[in-house]
Amino acid sequence: MRASWLAIAAKDLRLAFAGGQGPVQAVLLGLLLVFIFSLSAAPGDRFSPQQAMAIFWLCSSFAVVLIFSLLFRFEEENDTATALLLSPLPVQGLWLGKTLAGLVLLVLCQVFFFPAALVFLGLDPGGSPGGLVLMVLGVDLGLCILGGLIGAMGHGQGAKDALLTIIVFPLQVPLLLGGIRIGVGLMQGLPLADLGEWFGLVLAFDAVFSGAALFLFPHVFRGE
Amino acid sequence: MMASGTLLDLRAVSHFFGSRLIFKGVSCVLEPASIMLVAGPNGAGKSTLLKIMAGLLPPRSGSVQRRVEDRAMAFMGHQTFVYPALSALGNLEFWNRVYGRGLDDAGLLGLLERVGLKGFALEAAGTFSRGMAQRLSLARVLLVEPQLLFLDEPSTGLDTASQALLHAELESARTRGAGIVWISHDLERDLGRADTVLQLSGRSMTYFGPAGEFPGVAA
Amino acid sequence: MFRIYPKTLTLFAAAAMVLMAAGQYAIWFYAPEEMTMGPVQKIFYFHLPLAWWCFVAFFGVFAASVMVLWTGKEKWDVLAGVLAEAGVLFSGLALITGSIWGRAAWNTWWTWDPRLSTTLVMWFVYSGYLVLRAADAGGAKGARMRAVLGIVAFVDVPLVFLSARLWRSIHPAVLASRSGGLEPEMWTTVWINLLAWGALFAAIVLARYHGAGFARRVEAALVRIQEKTLQ
Repeated sequence: MRASWLAIAAKDLRLAFAGGQGPVQAVLLGLLLVFIFSLSAAPGDRFSPQQAMAIFWLCSSFAVVLIFSLLFRFEEENDTATALLLSPLPVQGLWLGKTLAGLVLLVLCQVFFFPAALVFLGLDPGGSPGGLVLMVLGVDLGLCILGGLIGAMGHGQGAKDALLTIIVFPLQVPLLLGGIRIGVGLMQGLPLADLGEWFGLVLAFDAVFSGAALFLFPHVFRGE
Repeated sequence: MMASGTLLDLRAVSHFFGSRLIFKGVSCVLEPASIMLVAGPNGAGKSTLLKIMAGLLPPRSGSVQRRVEDRAMAFMGHQTFVYPALSALGNLEFWNRVYGRGLDDAGLLGLLERVGLKGFALEAAGTFSRGMAQRLSLARVLLVEPQLLFLDEPSTGLDTASQALLHAELESARTRGAGIVWISHDLERDLGRADTVLQLSGRSMTYFGPAGEFPGVAA
Repeated sequence: MFRIYPKTLTLFAAAAMVLMAAGQYAIWFYAPEEMTMGPVQKIFYFHLPLAWWCFVAFFGVFAASVMVLWTGKEKWDVLAGVLAEAGVLFSGLALITGSIWGRAAWNTWWTWDPRLSTTLVMWFVYSGYLVLRAADAGGAKGARMRAVLGIVAFVDVPLVFLSARLWRSIHPAVLASRSGGLEPEMWTTVWINLLAWGALFAAIVLARYHGAGFARRVEAALVRIQEKTLQ
């Protein structure tokens, strides 16, 4: 069981990087967003940490949508989705594998977004780097858990998967608020303990939607 | 290893799309070491029936029993189930892990040799012709060593050599004890290879019995 | 198959008419004018029932969606859809009335209040849900997808509310103190209007449910006719 969902994640990452593409589209879109938002301040003005974090998470939110659209497109050509459904892999394993692959790709995107936010938005990376990593991973996990569930709905729907974004973005609101508030807190040098409630909220989101996805994914990804 | 008893047992299966009846009253059994040919005109619901048999679709009514685990079941259809960006070997490696077969590279290369693709092992499957992709699909089926095998017109678009290969592998799977359900367009050609025939026509099952007693293609 | 309930619909519609009339009378002639805010406070009698029933509607979408996955029956899918329509309508009106209230009470059209923000996010979520419903080709698979969205959307509500409350931890206490300062006549007015909007809500949902049910019946009949002619 464990081997097979790791196999899904490994296969998806190989497919994502085949042809040297990777999440290039998501990275470029994010960088473009950072650049365009940088125009909203007068030259020389700095963005407040809150503005900078909000833009960072907006980029991540867009990236997640593109990443999961890509990950589920892999199963459309030649109908490998059916082959996976027929395989001994529990269908939740597919969700887990996709979520994991998406997480890796998202973190990779953020490796580009973060320095871009430093350069263009004057984001000041003070505070505890450990806390920052913890926060980013916690929020990313939530984004990918949701992305893996909703992304599967776009599967086989053609252009309709673009429509799914209008419901994904508002659903992400608690995570984005958490990411922004914790990020700002850490950069202002608040101790982790003061941000406990926010971390709790992010973890609650991860837990609640993991449970929901395990229960709901088999209804989304079916052979019909 | 021979499985004992029937592999597949359908009782009074019917299916609808929305309120439209596709077929009703399908009952059949599949014994080990046998080939069941599924016949019928276009739109009779042959592919739908195969999906119901394979557990991809729940039937609207009736019962389907499979006495075979998922890991001993394989499906080959007009779709090749191939990841075009992975190499032939990469495709097999993936399914090897998903099915938990534990073959090493030499074993996988051996499979590719059996289907005549050893020379293309490291080439991306996306560059393959349809015949080659379908051979790769066959290699995936061989990897699984299925007890229960579903074929949905797999020979469409295959050249003579590929078809001969497919038929030879079907024979050897049957000899090994596998049960095979096979949708074929070319009834004349494939009837001789089958043990039983199931015919769908006019929204119901019009024949199920030994291939030797099959009266022929319904008008 | 779809059952319709014409008598129940008539009952709710009639109740809505009578209760609405009574509610309006209570608002303008029975309830005393609030001291500090004056007549603007009367918006509250619209706002509260709208907000209340929109959350009932969203919970209904959730419950009906669970039933879709459980039973696979088409009627639950239809019910979830009409409840979402009513919910979006009511939450939209609640937001507008809330905004007018905010302008009068806090001198701003919009402020970050957990309840207000949660309602806005929910309005977005369920509007998106309706757009997806309208765009979908349908079928058994579509119904399951919609059900999953209906469940996920509702699961999100408490998380949105918690995050909105944490976001602005010193939120204005106006809402809390307001209900404390209500006079008995005001309470009576609130209750009458709550019931009135509830009856209207039920009538709207039932009428839309009947409409959707009739549409499916016509579709099914057309399919049968087509099949007859093809044979």
